[in-house]
Amino acid sequence: MDKRTTQLHSYHESKNAKFIDFGDWSMPFSYEGTLKEHDVVRNSSGFFDVSHMGRLEIDYSELDKISSLICSDLINIPMNKALYSIFTNENGNALDDVIFWKFEDKIILIPNASNAFKIKSHLVDHKVDFIDKSLETVLIAVQGPKTIELINDRFEIPEKFSTAKSDNFMYARTGYTGEDGIEIMASNAEAESLISFLIEKGIKPCGLGSRDTLRLEASLPLYGFELTEDITPVEASLSWTITNEHNFLGSDRIKSQLQDGNHKILKKFTIESRKIARTETIGMSGDIKGVVTSGNFSPILNKSIGFILFENKPPQNLIEFDIRGNLIEGNIVNKRFLS
Amino acid sequence: MSDIKYLETHEWYLINEEVITVGISDFAQNELGDIVYVTLPEVGQTFEKGAPVVEVEATKTVAEAYAPMDCTITEVNSQLETEPETINNDPCGDGWMFKAKVNAVDDSGMSYQEYETFVS
Repeated sequence: MDKRTTQLHSYHESKNAKFIDFGDWSMPFSYEGTLKEHDVVRNSSGFFDVSHMGRLEIDYSELDKISSLICSDLINIPMNKALYSIFTNENGNALDDVIFWKFEDKIILIPNASNAFKIKSHLVDHKVDFIDKSLETVLIAVQGPKTIELINDRFEIPEKFSTAKSDNFMYARTGYTGEDGIEIMASNAEAESLISFLIEKGIKPCGLGSRDTLRLEASLPLYGFELTEDITPVEASLSWTITNEHNFLGSDRIKSQLQDGNHKILKKFTIESRKIARTETIGMSGDIKGVVTSGNFSPILNKSIGFILFENKPPQNLIEFDIRGNLIEGNIVNKRFLS
Repeated sequence: MSDIKYLETHEWYLINEEVITVGISDFAQNELGDIVYVTLPEVGQTFEKGAPVVEVEATKTVAEAYAPMDCTITEVNSQLETEPETINNDPCGDGWMFKAKVNAVDDSGMSYQEYETFVS
């Protein structure tokens, strides 16, 4: 079956992007190299076409119903704020991690590309009305420390984790790289002029390769790796997202896990070399077994980093990885990778 | 000295008298993307044709480079230990990986033209 492509596919082709299959999608992996693009976002500004993610418009009349499906308090956060949250199933496991943008007249829900269909079905099952805007819009993430100063002549810049709207765009000061920036939803008709504006400002196109190394370095989970339908937000070390004080799907299990602490647990690790402990690598902390969910090289730290899911609370910080038959030592880190 | 030849597993080799120099092709480095770490063999290690000799870590994936023929390592490119990106920048030049004494000559690799056809 042919892979789906975004509205900006011919632009990516014209920039000689290397493409990668990502679920149903063929997406740009890199243009000039993952490490170069990583560097651009850490030091200047880059943009990512993330139009493969979903964009669902939801009316405030649906707020209570939506709230009963997620672990965070969407009701009480102020208007014009963005919220990261997790849709849970009846066992408290993660169906998807998503972003909500609250505007005065509506809510925009952004599910992951791989989960967009599942979340839409889930909303239908729970009688939540929505309008799917995915096909008629693009989503562009502009990220990096220089982003704001480069685009503030065209965009009124909201506070961090807040949303804003102009005639042509809805956007929020959010991202997935650990850097400042905004994520912009634009109609298909506006897509090319938006890209031209970014290019004119010297903002470079970046692909999913650097998006992955950037998010990992920023200690952010990726659905399908850190988060699956087999892990709760508590187990994924995302308890900070559990702010919904009402009952929500699977909240009983989540609350009991928060109390008894007896559950598997996701941790971050570093390895003092460039040897990468990739997904599915086994790591032992004493006699507690863990499996790496994501691992890669961190350009900023100049060593290997990753996430590892332990069967239970690891007894020590030292991890012994079996990397293709070689015993390699790493350490659990409790702080973020980047300070 | 003969010309550079290529294997289906994307190594190149150059035979000069009894010694081969081995690296990975431009196609291979381009497919791998940014190379961040290389595990090189030790001088004196002996490999049979097809055995994995070098492990190449890229941000995208990990790959191995195989021995083009039976050989014993005589020299490794230690520059790659600190600057593995040399393979991306100059795969068939400064990005060479190892030199080895040939124990059984097998010069059955593809010419550049044959390899270009193979990968296209």
